[in-house]
Amino acid sequence: MSERDVVLEVEDLKVEFDTYGGIVHAVRGVSFQVRQGETLAIVGESGCGKSVTMQSIMGLIPMPPGRITSGTAMYRGQDLIRNKYLGGRDIRGSAIGMVFQDPMTSLNPTMTIGDQIAETLQVHRGFSKSQALARAVELIAMVRIPDAAKRASQYPFEFSGGMLQRSMIAMSLACEPSILIADEPTTALDVTIQAQILDLLMDLQKEKGMAIVLITHDLGVVARMADDVMVMYAGEIVESGTIDDVFYRGAHPYTMGLRAAMPSRELGARQRLTPIDGSPPDLFSPPSGCGYFARCPQAMRMCQAQHPYLMSVGTAHHSRCWLQHPDSTRQVPGLSIPHLGSVPVQS
Amino acid sequence: MLRYILKRLLHGLITVWFIATATFIAMHAVPGDPLSGEKAMTPEIRRNLEAKYGLDKPVVEQYRIFLVNMAQGDFGISYTQQNREVNDILREGFPVSATLGILAIVFAALGGVLLGALTATYRNRLPDVVIMFLVILGISVPSFVFAALGQLALVKINAWTGFTLFPVAGWGTVMHMVVPSLVLGLGTMAYLTRLMRSSMLEVTNTDYVRTARSKGLPPARIFLKHQLRNAILPVVTVLGPAIAAITTGGFVVELVFAIPGLGRYFVQAVQQLDYTVIMGTTVFYGAFLVLMVIIVDIVYGLIDPRVRLKA
Repeated sequence: MSERDVVLEVEDLKVEFDTYGGIVHAVRGVSFQVRQGETLAIVGESGCGKSVTMQSIMGLIPMPPGRITSGTAMYRGQDLIRNKYLGGRDIRGSAIGMVFQDPMTSLNPTMTIGDQIAETLQVHRGFSKSQALARAVELIAMVRIPDAAKRASQYPFEFSGGMLQRSMIAMSLACEPSILIADEPTTALDVTIQAQILDLLMDLQKEKGMAIVLITHDLGVVARMADDVMVMYAGEIVESGTIDDVFYRGAHPYTMGLRAAMPSRELGARQRLTPIDGSPPDLFSPPSGCGYFARCPQAMRMCQAQHPYLMSVGTAHHSRCWLQHPDSTRQVPGLSIPHLGSVPVQS
Repeated sequence: MLRYILKRLLHGLITVWFIATATFIAMHAVPGDPLSGEKAMTPEIRRNLEAKYGLDKPVVEQYRIFLVNMAQGDFGISYTQQNREVNDILREGFPVSATLGILAIVFAALGGVLLGALTATYRNRLPDVVIMFLVILGISVPSFVFAALGQLALVKINAWTGFTLFPVAGWGTVMHMVVPSLVLGLGTMAYLTRLMRSSMLEVTNTDYVRTARSKGLPPARIFLKHQLRNAILPVVTVLGPAIAAITTGGFVVELVFAIPGLGRYFVQAVQQLDYTVIMGTTVFYGAFLVLMVIIVDIVYGLIDPRVRLKA
């Protein structure tokens, strides 16, 4: 892991939601750092709390029913959970930009694309309307949409999905933020467009030097983009480290389960994939032991009783698994084996 | 946009022709005719009168004459009122009715949008609960009840304070117009409030409003530029039918407040089977409504680019 400056440091973030069924503990004590110019990928299945984590930092979860019960998110010495204004200006849209999953519904249908991009500049930079519009045209050209001047005066329904996502990126980068949060930016797009969008993001990152927090459940996207990876499960980080650590030296059974569930060229097209049996625990009453206990092929007795903490398994590589405890006598199968040949393939 | 407007105008013209034809058929299907109200009339006099008014001609021929005259803007002469052209009646009564109706619509639309947005903002809190209770009342109570109650309240208030700010009945000054148009617009306003509330709640939870928040826009800007404009679309759609509801409801309110609008003539004409007045007022009213609906459509196109550019 490199020694670059930390731009965002999140400490012990906990988020709950009141529902008719009770309190959902969506995020249960998450801590991580985002470094300048690097990409942090947050992966995990639906409902694991990855989007809620970033949205609560951005103040986008509806409150009520949502509630941030503990935690800090330090940006330039200021806690964003408590105060979103830095020097009288909202950090959202200026210092931190955000791109969402579905570009078709994430843009205002009754405003032109140009106006929507220009708006950010008017609000945060004090640009005049015409200045901001001129800059918006440049930004549209920057995200490689041809005929930018004409496109700026068009409405979202006149754009394709890929172009809308490019516009979203242009909009979120308008004020040159130091962090870009991309919440499943390619999930709603088809595969060729996905690749273009990811390339665009990487090129822009090289050019502007911003940090990217990439939320996704697509490990292929992670492999392409990320420097660091954070695997979330049931509202907690279960493993974190560099991309090589997590992909090739996976130290948590859940990470390995995810890898085994992913199609790979080696296994061939006719090979069945290995799903992870069962479903995530009920977050109304999270289990007292390990959240993955019920589904884990390596589960031990103590996993049910004792909640594992994040254990160091290498330089900046952590795993929330009792198997990694110094006193554990068991070996983690699949460790150091890139393609997980040792995990039995179910038929 | 121009093509869109022309298309709508053509549709409107066809609609007016339908209204005219339907009214004509309905009139002639009703038993009796304008002369049947007259006292003891010898068959000879009756024949003479029929010949004079063209009532002895075949119905198809009458229909043709009616259409040709109407196309030239001539609705004929009243059967029952001496020397009164239908056009005179329209010229006299319509501006009054239209003023009342338009005021009521403006009041209903502004009130509905504001109250709807307010209740959505204070969802499930006191202002929402109180307003939504009143809305149910406004929707379920017919306008003639409000008219009578409003008038009674005015009488009491004027008697108690000793001077008349809002007159109890009649027409002429702005003060005469306030209470009747409020009463007339009340039901529609209640309906629009409900519509606006649900639309606003829907828009508040959309992805693009979340995007707007993620851009760090001030709440007032998010409300005006991202929520209100999108939430207002369904309200604009129902404004057309709402105008129809208000203008027809206007007849009753005109009677209660003794307003010299078209309503009075219309009701009288129906009772006396005054063919020309009925058809004249109906067709004219119909054309007015169609025009209002077209204007609503054009406004809708201005607000929603998807309608404007795809049509």
